Amino acid sequence: MREMGRRSEHAGHPFKALPSDDGHGGALAAAPTWAMLWGTPTVLVLHCGQKDVISAACPRALELGLVPGMAAAHARALVAGLDVREAEPEADRAFLDRLALHAARQWTPSASVSGPDGLWFDLTGTTHLFGGEERFCRRLLAFLKRLGFTARIAVASTPGAAHALARFGQNAVTLIGSGEEAQAIAELPLAALRLAPEALVAAARFGLERVADLYPMPRGPLARRLGLKTVERLDQARGLAGEPLTPVVPTEAPSVSRRLLEPIGTPESIAQVIGDLVDDLVLLLRARGLGARNVLLSADRVDGEVQRLAVGASRATRDDRHLKRMFGLKMAMLDPGHGIEAMHLAVPLSEPLGAQEAGALLETSRKARDLAPLVDQLATRAGASALFRMSSLESDVPERAIRRVPPLATPKGWPDWKRPARLLKRPEQLSNVVALLPDHPPRRFTWRRQSYSVVAGDGPERIHGEWWRSPKEMWAVRDYFRVEAEGGARFWLFRRGDGVEALTGDLTWYMHGLFG
Amino acid sequence: MTTPIPTYVELQVTSHFSFLRGASSPEELFAAAAVLGHRAMGLADWGTVAGVVRGWDGQKATNVRMIPGARVLLADGRALLLYPRTRPAWSRLTRLLSLGKARGGKGKCILEWTDVAAHADDMIGILLPDMPCDITRDHLRDLYGVFGERGFCALSLRRRPDDAERLHRLEALARATGVRSVATGDILYHSPDRRPLQDLVSAIRDKCTIDELGFRRERFMDRNLKSPEEMERRFAAFPDAIQASADIAAQCSFDLGEIQYQYPYEQVIEGRTAQEALACLTEQAAAAKFPAGVPKRYRDQIDHELGLIEQLGYAPYFLTVNSIVTESRRRGILCQGRGSAANSCVCYLLGVTSIDPIQHELLFERFVSGERREPPDIDVDFEHERREEIIQWIYDTYGRDRSALTAVVTRYRTRGAVAEVGKALGLPRDLTKMLTGLVWGWSMDGIPREQIESLNLNAEDHRLKLTLELARELIGTPRHLSQHPGGFVLTQDRLDDLVPIEPARMEDRQIIEWDKDDIDALKFMKVDVLGLGMLGCMNRAFNLLEQDKGIKVTMADLQDDDPDVYKMIQRADTLGGVLVTVVQKVPLSKLLKHSDKSRKKIVTN
Repeated sequence: MREMGRRSEHAGHPFKALPSDDGHGGALAAAPTWAMLWGTPTVLVLHCGQKDVISAACPRALELGLVPGMAAAHARALVAGLDVREAEPEADRAFLDRLALHAARQWTPSASVSGPDGLWFDLTGTTHLFGGEERFCRRLLAFLKRLGFTARIAVASTPGAAHALARFGQNAVTLIGSGEEAQAIAELPLAALRLAPEALVAAARFGLERVADLYPMPRGPLARRLGLKTVERLDQARGLAGEPLTPVVPTEAPSVSRRLLEPIGTPESIAQVIGDLVDDLVLLLRARGLGARNVLLSADRVDGEVQRLAVGASRATRDDRHLKRMFGLKMAMLDPGHGIEAMHLAVPLSEPLGAQEAGALLETSRKARDLAPLVDQLATRAGASALFRMSSLESDVPERAIRRVPPLATPKGWPDWKRPARLLKRPEQLSNVVALLPDHPPRRFTWRRQSYSVVAGDGPERIHGEWWRSPKEMWAVRDYFRVEAEGGARFWLFRRGDGVEALTGDLTWYMHGLFG
Repeated sequence: MTTPIPTYVELQVTSHFSFLRGASSPEELFAAAAVLGHRAMGLADWGTVAGVVRGWDGQKATNVRMIPGARVLLADGRALLLYPRTRPAWSRLTRLLSLGKARGGKGKCILEWTDVAAHADDMIGILLPDMPCDITRDHLRDLYGVFGERGFCALSLRRRPDDAERLHRLEALARATGVRSVATGDILYHSPDRRPLQDLVSAIRDKCTIDELGFRRERFMDRNLKSPEEMERRFAAFPDAIQASADIAAQCSFDLGEIQYQYPYEQVIEGRTAQEALACLTEQAAAAKFPAGVPKRYRDQIDHELGLIEQLGYAPYFLTVNSIVTESRRRGILCQGRGSAANSCVCYLLGVTSIDPIQHELLFERFVSGERREPPDIDVDFEHERREEIIQWIYDTYGRDRSALTAVVTRYRTRGAVAEVGKALGLPRDLTKMLTGLVWGWSMDGIPREQIESLNLNAEDHRLKLTLELARELIGTPRHLSQHPGGFVLTQDRLDDLVPIEPARMEDRQIIEWDKDDIDALKFMKVDVLGLGMLGCMNRAFNLLEQDKGIKVTMADLQDDDPDVYKMIQRADTLGGVLVTVVQKVPLSKLLKHSDKSRKKIVTN
């Protein structure tokens, strides 16, 4: 049995940025380096009733005397420039699950999560693969250090003892021989035994502090005073009672493969094999009740190289025609070299997908056709980032009023007010503007070296800076005008400042958009 | 008809008495109006006239005439400004608002078009249209049907696209239905730099942070007060709309000073005026007190007081207090007048107070003075357990439509302001808590910068700076109306002819929209019916004395120079020092030191 206890952990973790081993999550953002993060003392806080309480502190914060359990306000007062972030217990837990899953593949066949900050590995019969328990522990520590964890490992023959030693022991690695558990944990505080809080309070009242204090106690009264669970935990740690672990089960991604008798190289034959693979995959997905969001094709070439092709679906699918068409679009990127001898299709990212109704026989209503296949095809050709839909944000500042949303999201309502068909990415300053103050549209202006004379104008539409964002915007004003120039071109111009107060802007004019 | 005022008059002004909507006080608005050269300004808060007395004060301070009115939002979504032209129309307005408040409960006002139509006589109605569409056309037709020549359509610039077109189409629509247009400014604050505060109170009202507020903020811009010349320039295309505003102002000649408060008529003695009745009652009481003839000092004092009371016409007030006290005595509820009323010999003889002003050499002019001309204020304490009986007796005797409690305007103090602003600006909860923790009690001065720095906070942080600045601006802004602990307003005629009445949170209580300062300004009479726990205690003590020892004691013949009592006070052998009340504001500590000599200045209340 072995146990890794996590003493302190940081919010943004490099491991989270690594490609995931199970296909979930994955690369999100470049991870900040430790040096950068540990430059300022950092603590995580958790809402606890009416208070914010520190749930974890980085080594620098610990050095400064900030300890978990302290009120966040107190910590802020003690340390200037303290970086306070929200703890995310769910995210921590999800990450620990992933780590357990990884361990179950790399280190031991059976691993499980222990509490909010540890992992249990069942090492029975595995350490010799790594050159013994000690070397195993060293390698594991090095691995975790690379991930950025300060870890402590205890190896014992009971989960309870491993748990206690990993969290309350003195060394980074503790190895306990079989039968030495009771001796090893004797001097540890009672909290090491995973007792219920009430039992700990009761024990403190009786003056019981160390685990060893419990050994001479008669079991009957002990169970009455501290609960039967306490006795059970004590037995489990000493190996007198068994404790089953619930190991994580690595789920297998659906995959199909075909080995070919002869290497193939022609597009027709490759398309044929892909078609067969897709048919197999669809059967498999249907049997499991899944739909694919991501399908990865790998082709083993005779020269030993592996070619990969991935297609994504914006909505879970197991439509064979759709999948085949998407691979058809990308097939040209596959280089068969001297021939392909095997092909595999795997689904790294899938979602549950129930039975779908087949197209009704008497379809009469003309429903809008599902956009998802089209979106997938376009995304396959142009790249997923090239495809988006515009939605509105509730802001009067034109630059902030729009944002990109995924192509299949439902956009929110549009403003009732007229907005130009095209908004310039950044406003362009106008020159030679002739305009009356305080609220008249310009008569003439020059934009991109061409001068325009205005025949009609509407405005001003007054837009104030969003004062709560930055001091610069506190009093800033833009007065927007819709003007029509000679020749019929219509523009959206604005003037900085309201024309009365100097504080609101310097009265320069800008072009911000064009109406059709 | 007075001569028309030539320049523009602003008629759509919202003060901060439209709770968490307006961002300026009536005083600030009127001061700004005076600076900008306005001659008159309409004050129309949302479903309330709570601010008009403050505006009236503003009028007195600045000579800008206030036109009192209200803005009502009807259940079908239309908004109207209502301005009474005359005193009877004011009563209709206050009754209309009372009706809406009775329906809507505390702080709300629910009205239908039919209600407005029923109260519209002699009232100016200004429709606040949204867009020129068929609905607006129907509303304008309704308006013309009810208000006729007195109906107007408001034109105001929103600083949004197609503003000019909207105004032209609205004006044409109004003209087609026979309604005259009037230019308004839709004012929310007196100066442009209050805009952040206005956004902030919107966020507080909607209980969200300023970042989440989105389009729930006021989206029409330029809501500060502008000069008449500027408005005339902006509405140059609508000269008649400018003229209309002046015409409305000229028609609305009603001034708050016309509200003639009438003391409730006290039928004490058949066929006599209140003054005669009061004189008679006092004489009877004096004769009973001094069977051997009234001493000269008392005689002179009584004549002096009665003369002053007659001159100021306060006799009904004394009679009212007397009836309440008599009733309470009849029911065996212990009561005791306190405060400056103790300076009056008349009050002493009538039994309202138990302190002999002659013996204690107290000055009547502290209580009622010919020069100050403000109504006398007699606070009466009752046993707190039985105060409700008296309150309900007052309601029953004077009528529910003639009596109500005065309001207390609950305003933001530093602590509440910092908490609300911090929440609305999205500061971390514990930080807000830390900031409010710095505030001492009921402070009204905001948080100084040094304190922020002493907390190790970055005082240059934008949000933190905003929080402190805006909290300072928010301090003193009214948040809601609540009920006064016991200030009763009693009238001869219906009270809702003078001021709107709204139901209070407590059952069977109703409050008016004005607080005690407003009432003082309008010279309303107020009787404070307060509860005092110790009086109940004393009543029980008197009963025990009578039962066990057969000693009959009343408040009036309590010995107030028992040296043993003073010794006990000096030893601090007391239950709550508050109950040692000092009449002449001699510092208590000094009094306790020299209490042997000056013990006559102490009364146990």
